[in-house]
Amino acid sequence: MGRVVRNLFVAGCVLLWLIPLYLLVVNALTPSTEYEGRPDWTFQGFDLVDNVRTAWTEAGIGDSFQASLLYAAVCGLVAVLVAAMAAFAVVVLPIPRPAFWFWLIYSGTLFPLQMFLAPLFGLYADANLYDTRLGLMLVYVAWAVPFAFFLIRNQMTTMPPELTEAALIDGASFGRIFWRIHVPLMRAGLGAAFLFQFTAVWNDLLLGITLSRSADVQPVMAALTTLNNAYSSSGPPVILAGALVVSAPTLLLFLVFRGLFLRGITASTR
Amino acid sequence: MRAHMRARMRAHMTEIATPAPASAPAEAKPRRVRRRVPHRTPHQAVRPSARLGGPLAALPWALPAFAFVGVLLVYPFFRSVYGSFFEDDGFTSRFTGIDNYTRLADDPVFGRSLLNTLMWVAGTLLLPVLLGLLIAVATHRMRFGGIAQMVIVLPFAISAAATAVLWNFMLTSDGAVNQFLRGVGLDSWAQTWLLEWPQNTLALIVAGTWQATGINVVLFAIGLRVIPRDTVEAAELDGASGWRMFRYITLPQLRAVTVVVVGMAVVNSLKAFDLIWILTKGGPSRSSETLALTMYREAFRLFHVGYGSAIALVLSVIVVASSWAYLRRQMPDTGWARG
Repeated sequence: MGRVVRNLFVAGCVLLWLIPLYLLVVNALTPSTEYEGRPDWTFQGFDLVDNVRTAWTEAGIGDSFQASLLYAAVCGLVAVLVAAMAAFAVVVLPIPRPAFWFWLIYSGTLFPLQMFLAPLFGLYADANLYDTRLGLMLVYVAWAVPFAFFLIRNQMTTMPPELTEAALIDGASFGRIFWRIHVPLMRAGLGAAFLFQFTAVWNDLLLGITLSRSADVQPVMAALTTLNNAYSSSGPPVILAGALVVSAPTLLLFLVFRGLFLRGITASTR
Repeated sequence: MRAHMRARMRAHMTEIATPAPASAPAEAKPRRVRRRVPHRTPHQAVRPSARLGGPLAALPWALPAFAFVGVLLVYPFFRSVYGSFFEDDGFTSRFTGIDNYTRLADDPVFGRSLLNTLMWVAGTLLLPVLLGLLIAVATHRMRFGGIAQMVIVLPFAISAAATAVLWNFMLTSDGAVNQFLRGVGLDSWAQTWLLEWPQNTLALIVAGTWQATGINVVLFAIGLRVIPRDTVEAAELDGASGWRMFRYITLPQLRAVTVVVVGMAVVNSLKAFDLIWILTKGGPSRSSETLALTMYREAFRLFHVGYGSAIALVLSVIVVASSWAYLRRQMPDTGWARG
């Protein structure tokens, strides 16, 4: 009896979770000319390529896709490097008052973005960084550093200090110790931090719509929003195809590096 | 038992860094001599007076992070606090003291927004967290349970924006949900989900649940896996099963994970922006706004920058207050935190 209820419950949940995904795929495949104003529950054709092409070129997802790929990859890498160096300073090296510096950096993930937006907008307008790729990349790095720092710091505290001490006695410099000992030993942790920050930057909407405007600067989620606002004119198949395209990179990363993702989640909860 | 579990959860973090004195009594003595310097924690390899550089040697390593975070996050934070005492339309600003805050009290939009925010928090505890717990327990040690968890965690890899676009397709008046309800003869259940309060906020919470439950399932599943077998077996010997097992063994053992899940879920629900912005833009007539939306609309659509900053500060206080238990857990090694 209990077992039956449990199985039914799990099956029901799985079904509920699959239906939206199923509808997403089915309707993204429907040829946009044959869409009749209501959702299709069965496959009507296989026109994904055309729908994607429409979303990609006419709705400007393509430009934003490339821009976001640049933002996510570069900012993810820079943030992880910057965060790893800071974690090295706080955990391994004798920086005075490490707790103060920890909370200074960590506060960046704590507060809602709304707390930073208005002054950032003013700052960017003054510095001519508004609506530039450089401006967005700078703020993405700053936004990604705190959580990457948190993940990397947690992992770095598990490394035995004897390693560093031995290397110091052998006459290695801090730089050498960092690059030759900590970076190689923490490959998995750094990878997890990069995946997280890549995903975070890729999925960002709020910073994108606040600090940029033009099509070749806006990140991809902002472009998707613009496309969605033209719901009736461009038609659901094209919009859903756009949603599918912008989800592909993170979905792919998640499926390929599932272990690393889960490891990052576990580390973030300890 | 709780301590036992925590110790197991953290075992991988601490076993290398600080070997238990009991297991290595021979080493305890020389270690103590080396660690006399108060500034040095077990993790720090180099003493302040070490041969390379002195206390400032670490600074260049931390400088890039401090520069990024300081200029682009910490400075704007304090500038926001400062700006919340001004009436500012983006061009001219005038000091008005705590006017922005007193205005909040009798602004009906803010009241509705606060109510919606509370609905989001309550809904998040009720749906993604409770459902996540139930699914994790139900799929634990179940055949194909891993696959079921995988399906439910899949939307986690999709952005909130894409989720919103998909759910717009589901929830719009001639969308898939209404079509389904009419198809099975529940015509009276079909409604304009996104156009009336309160069902627009409730519909948004359901859409959020679809995306956010998976991660909680994963976290609870991790918690379930580290429950010691002996405890479960001992309870079984004592005749516990079903509900009693869940209530008196599983649930107490999950307490540590629950703090994390609740903390993360509540913070995320307070920060939720993308989903609501794309699905309803906070409307119609601002009825589905939460504080995150209200701040954005006031500051960037209506150019009430100071008023927006005041709302942002209220939201920040709520975020920090509601995640306090979770934050304290983030820093369990308090010796280090005291610096």
